[in-house]
Amino acid sequence: MADVILAERLTKWYGKQRGVLELDFSVHQGEVFGYLGPNGAGKTTTIRLLLDLIRPTSGRATVLGMDARRDAVEIHGRVGYLPGEFALYENLTGAEYLAHLAALRGTSDLRYARTLADRLDLDPSMRIASLSHGNKQKVGLIQAFMHRPELLVLDEPTQGLDPLIQQEFYRLISECRADGRTVFLSSHVMPEVERVCDRVGIIREGRLVAVEDIGELKAKEMRTIDLHFANPVPPTAFEGLPGVREVTAEGDRIRCTVVGHVDALVKAAAAFEVVDLVSHEPTLEEIFLAFYGKGERGGD
Amino acid sequence: MATEAITTHRMLASVLTKTIHDQRRALVWWTLGLIGTAAMYAAIYPSVRANAETLNRFVKSMPEWLRTSFLSTSQDYTSPAGYLHTELFSWLAPLLLLVYAIGAGARAIAGEEERRTLDILLTTPLSRRRVVTDKFLAMVAGTGVLAAVLWAAIAGLGAPFDLRPDLLKFAAAVASTFLLALAFGSIALAAGCATGRRGLSVGVTSALAALSYLMDALLPSLKSLAWVQRLSPFHYYADHEPITNGLDPLHAVVLLAIAGAAFAVALWSFERRDLAA
Repeated sequence: MADVILAERLTKWYGKQRGVLELDFSVHQGEVFGYLGPNGAGKTTTIRLLLDLIRPTSGRATVLGMDARRDAVEIHGRVGYLPGEFALYENLTGAEYLAHLAALRGTSDLRYARTLADRLDLDPSMRIASLSHGNKQKVGLIQAFMHRPELLVLDEPTQGLDPLIQQEFYRLISECRADGRTVFLSSHVMPEVERVCDRVGIIREGRLVAVEDIGELKAKEMRTIDLHFANPVPPTAFEGLPGVREVTAEGDRIRCTVVGHVDALVKAAAAFEVVDLVSHEPTLEEIFLAFYGKGERGGD
Repeated sequence: MATEAITTHRMLASVLTKTIHDQRRALVWWTLGLIGTAAMYAAIYPSVRANAETLNRFVKSMPEWLRTSFLSTSQDYTSPAGYLHTELFSWLAPLLLLVYAIGAGARAIAGEEERRTLDILLTTPLSRRRVVTDKFLAMVAGTGVLAAVLWAAIAGLGAPFDLRPDLLKFAAAVASTFLLALAFGSIALAAGCATGRRGLSVGVTSALAALSYLMDALLPSLKSLAWVQRLSPFHYYADHEPITNGLDPLHAVVLLAIAGAAFAVALWSFERRDLAA
């Protein structure tokens, strides 16, 4: 598989402030690569390095086989980019903005832009100044997708989108994958990455701490599950089950931590009368704990 | 859903035309303001003419440095050329055009960067040089339009009030004002490209312009410091009185060279810099 993105010891310092440190990773053609990390970890810095908006202190990046620095203009022609924080030209309407960017990309074919506006439920005739945050995000998404780029680089793409539109966005991502196009998507929420990505890179305090297959990640994933029973249940019924750790009981409630599949736990619980079952999505911190057995501060 | 609203738009076909498009309302207001200014100058002129004797006596009583700084050396103050040189070109015309050009130059890149619209613009397949060049050309066009409006307004509104300068030489004086504004507008562009900060660029360039003005207007009164005048762009703007003598090619070239050098600095500094997130 060809590497669509290749980072080699990619490092960025902002003066004495850490940006990203010695990143080495590759993104393959046709995959959806999630770039996961808490805010401030260096996700946006990485993306801006790939797009030549900022320049590395050392190391280099290759995008679509070209040097990110030297061939930036040609790369930009084949990439769609949604920044994490951005503003649109407030004095234009959404339609005018999209037409402007299409023209700068050398095309007057706006049919796909119209289709996207329709699918994301955006009224493009509205002045951007009067759009809500979510609607501005839609305009940002459309400009990234509308020229059907070979590579999409999306920095926190779903922020501000309502759930229905998020679903449509996930469908767009799936379509890209089906077309053999590549998506690099940053996020600070695990479920989103799990939902749409094939692989995930986890970045923390400027360093890439893991690159995992989503399948393997799920197998290692730790979550907390609360069970509420009709009558008190002995915790011993769950202790020692495959994947189940740390069982605590309080009256008719059981809380336990599960790594990987919840199958054994659910089957054991089925022997009793279950009132409610709540599964808590793990926070990034819990994932780090599961992966490395150390917390936020113990990294370096 | 009105998705058919997404259609091509001629004024949005390039960064250059889009920047001019953004300025269209402002340019209308500037045009009206310049016409009003021209009307005021024209309307006052007959009374200047009527009091020629008194005014000329007053002018002669002024200290020499004041006279050489602000008045025509060869023309009667109350002649159309002398009047325009002293009243229009010694401060208001350059002030207005500089304000516009410095604003446009500072806004060009730094304004977009501060408003966070630049990331998407610069990830289209346009080089940074191309974007800066388009922004520069939009500033040139806007300033040029205002210079032309100023010329046409005086030419049109002056005649009924006997304010009839030689239109070709008046055009030379306006052109010189345009070149001066271009020089400072380009400096503001360069400052914005280098720092990404619009307010700073406006401030630094305005301070530089004020200093240059004072260097040209006041320092020559101190004979030992007369040479300092030559460092000021204002010296190359009107000290040769283009409204009397036409445009001095050498002086025009100096102003163009300042603009060109500042533009080169803008391209160079923007090319090698990290953009603000």
